[in-house]
Amino acid sequence: MRAQSPSKILIALAVAVLALSSGSGPVDAISRQVHGTTNTNVNRNFSSNSNINVNRNVDVNRNANVDVDVHAGYCCYHPVATAAAVTAAAVTTAAVMGSIVHSLPPACTVTVVNGFTYQNCGGTWYQPQYVGTSVQYVVVTAPR
Amino acid sequence: MKANRCINATVALLALTAMFTSNGARGQQPSTPAQAAPSTETAAPLVEPDAVAVLNKMGAYMRTLNAFSVRSETTIDEVTDDGMKLQFGGTVTMQVKRPNGFHAELSSDRKERQLFYDGKTVTLYGKRIGYYATAPAPATLRELGEVLDRKYGIRLALNDLFYWGTDESVAANIKEAAIIGPSRCGDAVCDHVAVRQEGVDWQVWIERGKSPLPRKLVITTTSEPSQPQYVATMQWNTAPKFEAATFRFSPPMGAHRIPLLDANAASAGK
Repeated sequence: MRAQSPSKILIALAVAVLALSSGSGPVDAISRQVHGTTNTNVNRNFSSNSNINVNRNVDVNRNANVDVDVHAGYCCYHPVATAAAVTAAAVTTAAVMGSIVHSLPPACTVTVVNGFTYQNCGGTWYQPQYVGTSVQYVVVTAPR
Repeated sequence: MKANRCINATVALLALTAMFTSNGARGQQPSTPAQAAPSTETAAPLVEPDAVAVLNKMGAYMRTLNAFSVRSETTIDEVTDDGMKLQFGGTVTMQVKRPNGFHAELSSDRKERQLFYDGKTVTLYGKRIGYYATAPAPATLRELGEVLDRKYGIRLALNDLFYWGTDESVAANIKEAAIIGPSRCGDAVCDHVAVRQEGVDWQVWIERGKSPLPRKLVITTTSEPSQPQYVATMQWNTAPKFEAATFRFSPPMGAHRIPLLDANAASAGK
């Protein structure tokens, strides 16, 4: 599945960073890869290959913040987790064009170019799109 | 499923045939009922006619409703790659005015979404996240369900129950069906119906009496080793009042339009 590798790397690094910091603070977050396998309709599931839910990430944390959308995605809504993921991304250098992520680093600027919405996050451009009811961000070249 | 009622297979076949013809909305040739009720001569029918009749009555009644709203409390299991089952809760409120008005509001632990349909376009909107996507839509709700599912990977809850009894190929998927017994469902008494299909077992609690509505639905995915479940309990309002604006989306200040990915295009690009 194409969306898996970049996010997996992020997750792995985020977990590593959090593991290091968990001894010194109240932070206790783990990230898991989940797959959408539960049928919600009894008959539509055989007619088409509608499993477009690429692996998603679920962050578990005991601070019980459910406002995931505020931070734009599944992954890393805990501020510390977000920071960790971003740090990890920075270390692995620029995001690959065309790669897909489920959340953005903080401090992005929304820009509308020719009617399309983009997020500019420190020079890396992301184009948000709905895939099913989930938002994904595709890394794109700077729009003009 | 224990379905050892003393009804012989012939009666079951006759009842099934009767059911198919009386409900065949499209005049299609019914698929062979023998498929649904395996022809082991001595065995009791696995697909009990009583259960099928209750399901069909539910579908027929639901299709008489020209306007309704239904609020569902749901839980859905997600299975992690290492086999741990996690449960997530949510609510879905749907407002429906046939043939071409639909509004749904979904709120879960992980997201908040609204869907608007006015017979011309369909819009998916995430309030907190501030994105919306609008796409051209077919003229009727029934077609909308198909398009959302096949093209965009968005499933409308209850969609298939709604059209129960109008599509014979769907009924033919049933391998076993039985009424388990009476059950309390909120303020009413329901028939607890259990159905087995390839890959899914499902149970539906259908209100007894004048309004045979589904009050609870449980879908168990049996093709997964951990058998994750989707559970929904429903509260119905069959005399709702809608405003014209209910089904029309006007982008609020600060909302940004983004694309809605065509699932077919997405899988082609893999």
